[in-house]
Amino acid sequence: MILRTPPARKRRAESRPPEEDHTNSPSSNRQQLVIYEDHPVVESSHGHSTPISTDQMLCTYQCRQMVKSEFLDALSSAEKQARDYQSKLEALSDDFSKAEAERKKFRDQFFNAEQELAAAKGREQMLQQQLRKEVDFSQEQLKKQIQSYSELEIKLRNEMDLRKKAESSAAIAEEKTSVLEGKLNTLSESIEREKSRLENELAQMRSGSKLSIDRISADLERMECKAKNAEKESALLKEQLEEIKKRLNECMQEKFEVEKRLSRFTSAEAPSKDADLLVKHLQEELRSYECEVREARKIISSHEKIELLKEKLLEEKGRRERAESDVHKLSDIQLRLKELEDEISTWKSMIKDIPGVSRADDLPLKFGALQKEVYDSMMKAGEAQARLKQVEVALDTTLLDKENAEAEAALAKERAESSRSEIKRLELMIASLTEERKHAVDEMKGCKSLDGGKELVSGTIAQQLESSLAKKDSFIRELESNLSEQRETNRHQLDEIKLLSERLNNEAKRIKMLEREGDRLRSEIAILESKLGHGDFSSANTKVLRMVNTLAVENEAKQTIEALQNELQKTKEKLQAVEDLKKQSPDSGTLVDSYIAGKIKQLKEQIATLEKREERYKTVFADRISVFRRACCELFGYKIVMDDHQRSDGIPVTRFTLHSIYAQSDTEKLEFEYESGNMNFLANEYASHPELSRQVEVFIRKMNSIPAFTANLTVESFNKRTLS
Amino acid sequence: MASRTATKDIITLRGSAAIVSEFFGYAANSILYNRGVYPEESFAKVKKYGLPMLLTQDEGVKSFISNLTAQLSEWLESGKLQRIVLVIMSKATGEVLERWNFSIETDKEVVEKGVSREKNDKEIMREIQAIMRQIASSITYLPCLDEPCVFDVLAYTDTDVAVPFTWIESDPKLIANPQMVKLHSFDTKIHKVDTLVSYKNDEWDEA
Repeated sequence: MILRTPPARKRRAESRPPEEDHTNSPSSNRQQLVIYEDHPVVESSHGHSTPISTDQMLCTYQCRQMVKSEFLDALSSAEKQARDYQSKLEALSDDFSKAEAERKKFRDQFFNAEQELAAAKGREQMLQQQLRKEVDFSQEQLKKQIQSYSELEIKLRNEMDLRKKAESSAAIAEEKTSVLEGKLNTLSESIEREKSRLENELAQMRSGSKLSIDRISADLERMECKAKNAEKESALLKEQLEEIKKRLNECMQEKFEVEKRLSRFTSAEAPSKDADLLVKHLQEELRSYECEVREARKIISSHEKIELLKEKLLEEKGRRERAESDVHKLSDIQLRLKELEDEISTWKSMIKDIPGVSRADDLPLKFGALQKEVYDSMMKAGEAQARLKQVEVALDTTLLDKENAEAEAALAKERAESSRSEIKRLELMIASLTEERKHAVDEMKGCKSLDGGKELVSGTIAQQLESSLAKKDSFIRELESNLSEQRETNRHQLDEIKLLSERLNNEAKRIKMLEREGDRLRSEIAILESKLGHGDFSSANTKVLRMVNTLAVENEAKQTIEALQNELQKTKEKLQAVEDLKKQSPDSGTLVDSYIAGKIKQLKEQIATLEKREERYKTVFADRISVFRRACCELFGYKIVMDDHQRSDGIPVTRFTLHSIYAQSDTEKLEFEYESGNMNFLANEYASHPELSRQVEVFIRKMNSIPAFTANLTVESFNKRTLS
Repeated sequence: MASRTATKDIITLRGSAAIVSEFFGYAANSILYNRGVYPEESFAKVKKYGLPMLLTQDEGVKSFISNLTAQLSEWLESGKLQRIVLVIMSKATGEVLERWNFSIETDKEVVEKGVSREKNDKEIMREIQAIMRQIASSITYLPCLDEPCVFDVLAYTDTDVAVPFTWIESDPKLIANPQMVKLHSFDTKIHKVDTLVSYKNDEWDEA
């Protein structure tokens, strides 16, 4: 079988008629060859339900069989294919339904996904919003942090500055501490030195006191021995004295007898030689007795000496006891010495703290100096104010000068500018003139060469021109000289301007300096004013007086006077009433009189008893006050005499005169004046002794303690009295 | 008003002293009234410095102030007065509560050479009026004096001044750590008076 047509499948697929190849003609011509033998019913008898186009069914007779088989084949294959296709269709429809289900599923999934997407979008938006908020918040925070950072930076800088300052102050403080340590060391060294000196002194004093005690005890023993010896001697001498006295008496008696005898002999007027002899003998005896009497007198004087020695011995004993008590006191004094040393060291440290003070005596001087400084500073402040005002005035004048100078400078500048412009103008003029001259000279030359005939005329013109040229030259010279002058003046003015500006700068500096000084002085003035406002004053040139104000007292007195006046008024009224009563009834008047007389008597009695009582009180008071005075005298060692009197200006004062019980004379008295709560020491002859005036200076003037002064004086006069 | 010459702008030492002492008398009266040292009813109103001023009618206080102003004008004429202080104290304890301080600066040239100065009378009156107004308004800030008080007058003088019969030397009666208020001042061109009140710190303020 020859395949004349392409396979049906192909044909159908390509929807081309099978006769195509048969004719080998183009498809446009094929339809002419087609013979319509078979109808499509045949085909339909085959029971083909497949839709076959009419073109497909067309065939020539020759190929009908072939076509049939082919067709059948094709049909079967087509049927198969249709079945396949159907199965495929079914599979596809299954697939489709599956796909549809899947599609639905996917759609659902898609919707879900969309919903999820929307939700996600919503969430995203929310998150974005949140994020934005967070971002804003964080930005704000960031800003805040930046601000705080900048603030912190500033603080840090401040801190750094402060730290630097603190470091510098610490360095200064360290320097100070080192200086102070140095001072402290020197101070401690000096204290130690002093301490050692004092200890040495103490040891020396101890040894001295021991030595003196030993010496005193040795003296004492010696004196005791002496006294014993003297006592013995005195006993012996007493005995001798007794004997001598006896003998003296005997002698005296004998003498009397002899004298009697002698008188008898003389009266008898017969003196014998024996008697003369006897007289001589007696006279000799008398002389010897006289010698004895002298010896006896000597013995008596020695006896007196012994008594004196005894007294001295007693005194020595007393001194020894005192020395022993002094030794006991020495330890106490040592303790006190230590305390005093401590105190001295504290005082010294205090004094060291005060700048410019090295000793305690410097303190009042220092205070004086400080007060002086205050006055000086006040004076200075005044002066400075005056200076400030002067300076302000100077400032004003300088400012005016400055303004003037500036105006001058501006003027000078303007003038310089104008002169410069003039110079330019002149230079331009010169240039134009020279050009003109050149031009004229050229012209002249041309004229000369051109016309000899015209020489005469042109000669005159040339002469004129030359003369004018000469004039112009001279003019130019003048202008040049002017120019140079102007330049010089310009230079001068410039120099002047420079000088003035320098002066201006100097003045500005001075002004600033003066302003600073003014500020400083103003602050000083403010400090001083505050001090003054407080009420401080210097006792060197100011004193404070108070007007005696008795208004409060007067007020009270006035009140009492008013009360008394009221009472008086009442009594007057009463009296009036009584008198009225009297007038009304004379009987009652007499009654009243008798009543009054009785009353008066009673009152007189009362007055008498009261006077008695007063007397009694007075005596009791006098007793008590004398006891008090005596006790005071015993306790404090001074008899005090009180005396009221008025000063020359009429102010009442009380004078106290103190006599020490250890005073050696009546002139030794201290006088004080008591006035409105103040006790003042009065100078007198006794107080003007150098020793006493020194004590007055120390205790009363410096320490302001009268009791210390009197106590010290008591101890000293006691020592004088007892030691002498 | 002491010797003021025909032309009112010329002012002499004596005239200036009279103005200042008279001012002090009125100021003392005003202080005593405004601070309630004496009862209100013991004061009478007069017109002075263009203001209604109150003067005490209590004879004792009157004579005290007149003696005081006489003495002050004497010192002012000699140029030896540096300051006048009116001290208000507690009657019970004697504690100083207020110090009214009138500092006086004297033109030494006028005292030594006896020259005169020029200043308009009205201007001085205006300055004094300002001080009086300030004294009257001081009750708004000064602490209340809620106890009976007495007053004293202190004069800060040169040391070579002889102490008169009715005066005695005294301590300055200072207040420890006081509050201070500076008031206006006036100037006669011979005497310049600066006014200042210092008073005890009120405890209520510190709490």
